[in-house]
Amino acid sequence: MPIFDWLLAVAVVALAAVMARAIWFTPPEALQGEAQKIFYLHVPSAVVGLYLACPLVAIGGAMYLWLRDDRLDRLAESSAEVALVFLSIVLVTGPLWGKPIWGTWWTWDARLTSTLFLWFILLGYTVLRGAIEDRQQRARYSAVLGILASLLVPFIHLSVRLFRTMHPQPIVLAPEKPKLSAEMGLTLSLAFIAFTLLFIALLRGRLKYAALRDRVEALEAGDA
Amino acid sequence: MPDNAGYMFAAYIAAAVIFGGYVIALIMRARTMTRRGDAIDTVTRP
Repeated sequence: MPIFDWLLAVAVVALAAVMARAIWFTPPEALQGEAQKIFYLHVPSAVVGLYLACPLVAIGGAMYLWLRDDRLDRLAESSAEVALVFLSIVLVTGPLWGKPIWGTWWTWDARLTSTLFLWFILLGYTVLRGAIEDRQQRARYSAVLGILASLLVPFIHLSVRLFRTMHPQPIVLAPEKPKLSAEMGLTLSLAFIAFTLLFIALLRGRLKYAALRDRVEALEAGDA
Repeated sequence: MPDNAGYMFAAYIAAAVIFGGYVIALIMRARTMTRRGDAIDTVTRP
């Protein structure tokens, strides 16, 4: 049974089209140059990873603790793994943007450090799941860890306001100037759509894999 | 305007490698799991 279907193909085509638009058909920012176009990767990855995937980890975990339904555990587990992928993109593209603009690959400011902590906690979450054999115990422990990890998201969101950081303040939805130009805004909007499609496709694939694995493990347990 | 397109291309390539690598890894894991399931079917089938 293939775990990926037409949706992944649609997402990849959409993503390729948006990236081509960003690289070749969207004007660069005057002061930052071409490196500013990392924005169209970095920001949508962060938004999808932090505000879509991480809440699903917490919701799936909390609902599992309440209803004890394995499907909810699989939702939390799959969301955590896909969140890890998106946050990896954020943590790789951030330094590649920071070096030419800030003059350094990394700085231990609140936004960057808390995002790195979240990445490590999600990594720990996946390691924890692999280390516990009992399915119910694994689901229970990881649900608690997933909820705690997601509590970092509001802190990461507010970190640029609570602390003095090198990371810029939000500019897209900020009421004050500077605003994005119309072309940049359209490219960013299309990038949000493409990254959301990719997230849904990856999450569906990961959920199918988790269901397949649980079926095989149940067969093996019955076979032993 | 600064000449820093290399950083942009490096970021786009890195993102493609991470996404592509994850998709391939997931397909491989699913294939391994399907083979494990098929092996049990073969053993248990009368």
